[in-house]
Amino acid sequence: MTTQIFSALTAVGLLCYGLQLWSIRAAAQKQENNEGIQTDYTPPISILKPLKGLDDNLFDNLESFCHLDYPRYELIFALQDMNDQAYKVAQKVKNKYPGKDIRIVAKRCNAGLNPKVNNLMAAYDAAKYEYILISDSNVQAGRQYLKSTVAPMNDPAVGLVSNLIEGVGGRTAGSVLENLHMNSFVMGSVCFLDKFLKLPCVVGKSMLMRKKDLEAIGGLHGVKDVLAEDYLLGKKMSESGKRVVLSPYRIQNVNHYWGIKKFLNRHTRWGKLRWKIGGTKYVLELAANPVFTSAMPLFILGPVRPAIMLALFTSMLKIAGDLYIGKETGTGMHPLSYLLVPLKDILIGLIWFVPIFSQGVAWRGNKYIIGKDSVLSPYTVSRSLAWKYRIVNSIRERFA
Amino acid sequence: MLLCDFHIHTTYSDGSVELGRVIDLYGQAGFDVIAITDHVVNGDNLLGKLAQRFRFSVMGDNFDEYMADVQQQARRAWDKYGMLVIPGVEISKNHISIDMSAHILVLDVKEFIPACMSYEKIFLEAKRQDAITVACHPHHLSDNSRDTLYLWNNRDKYARHIDAWEIANRDDVFNVISLKKYHYIANSDFHKPRHLYSWKTLLNCKKDVESVKQCIRHNKGVAITLFRN
Repeated sequence: MTTQIFSALTAVGLLCYGLQLWSIRAAAQKQENNEGIQTDYTPPISILKPLKGLDDNLFDNLESFCHLDYPRYELIFALQDMNDQAYKVAQKVKNKYPGKDIRIVAKRCNAGLNPKVNNLMAAYDAAKYEYILISDSNVQAGRQYLKSTVAPMNDPAVGLVSNLIEGVGGRTAGSVLENLHMNSFVMGSVCFLDKFLKLPCVVGKSMLMRKKDLEAIGGLHGVKDVLAEDYLLGKKMSESGKRVVLSPYRIQNVNHYWGIKKFLNRHTRWGKLRWKIGGTKYVLELAANPVFTSAMPLFILGPVRPAIMLALFTSMLKIAGDLYIGKETGTGMHPLSYLLVPLKDILIGLIWFVPIFSQGVAWRGNKYIIGKDSVLSPYTVSRSLAWKYRIVNSIRERFA
Repeated sequence: MLLCDFHIHTTYSDGSVELGRVIDLYGQAGFDVIAITDHVVNGDNLLGKLAQRFRFSVMGDNFDEYMADVQQQARRAWDKYGMLVIPGVEISKNHISIDMSAHILVLDVKEFIPACMSYEKIFLEAKRQDAITVACHPHHLSDNSRDTLYLWNNRDKYARHIDAWEIANRDDVFNVISLKKYHYIANSDFHKPRHLYSWKTLLNCKKDVESVKQCIRHNKGVAITLFRN
């Protein structure tokens, strides 16, 4: 009976996964069709790059934005202070391209609790063009990135354009797991929501907007105290009557030297975000993880033949599917790395439960409590829980 | 100030990252000056023989290849990142007793220096090549297995030959160096990517080999910093 229940759940999960594959393939074909298109619509753009610390391949990431095939754009590197490790890298990129319109804005801002938004505020004030592109420091873009991304903006009804992200690189187990997840679950979910549910799913790593549209929905100040500023900007833009468009042009999130801990930390944080934003819809995510549901009978019944067969069959299907996505999108991951897909899905299945019990998030050296719609509040230890933290801290200190 | 790391290993000895990737790792992080310093291990005892057998050491027969590779990567690092790469070696005299063991960085090395030579000869040879000599992790480390105390125990004899001492190595700080007022630098002793985040040297000088060497020798405008992300 247990095996049958989980087999049915796995079948549902595989169906969802099939739809995700379909939507990713459609997006990949759309990009291929768009690649040759020449557009005359090239308004000047201010690219805002919030920097904090060293991301993998930071120099190359920033440098890739100096090679964009676009007539007029400025690049603003935004930091909270000049002692940030990224400042030196930004300075080197600026020095290497003296002919490019690059500025470094290092200004401390404590307007809100979201450090990325704090970082962006001074850069936003310094931006001289009407179109602003918020682009994270851990992404790399190809030469046609701006032309492809700005094209939908030719329609005044469009208020925000974001891009698909693919994970590339991977020299450690943590990075490989991260890239596998980015290229299957994350990319699949974004494409699925866009294609089948027509829901605006904004990925904050790349967001293009007009200043007047952003200001009409409250500007950056309106999202200074939420963790999911990208989701909220998309939601507000949509509510204001402007369309939110997902550009099929993919940008690369380079992950080379991630540890397993960093991978788990990021997806626990993102899980908490989705739990606070999606509410009960978050439950569907577990059903959409066929590898995890197919492995449940193994945990419950032990290694009996039907349970082993179900888990093996589902894992092989998932590996084949992810390998297909990798080939279709050209992420360049080593074929053997896809053998880690079942392990990754089981880890993701396990950390799915964490958001239900914990509201704390750690992000770029800051700790917060996350509330409904990802509203942040400072992390404070309540008296009733203080003993727990004292014990944990004393154990940590001993180990250190 | 130039952000520097003068103690880096690659797969030419016991590092886990190959040379090209090490250059990229440091270049991507905005470093100004680095030195590649793979081990040259003494082959006159069992420990050294094993290290040489398993290729955890640069040897006489592959030294030219090592130097050519470092110089080629140095050109690439300069063109791409504006980062100066100095060729070097870590002469590693390993013995069972930590009191007999010592590691010496030779920066801007030109010719192979066998590690089985006597300390005096090594220092003289380094001086002949106009290289900089640095006493590595000269005191007790938090990880006791790598302790090399010979130079510190015999400092009265050798201090005049040594251009600088490592006052900090990866996560360890050796306050005895400052108490003795010896010339100092701080390095990562890089073997794995996570070692990028460790103690480093800041130099206030021009970004060329001679100025960097002068700055270390005179030890003016030298600071150390704990490089964290």
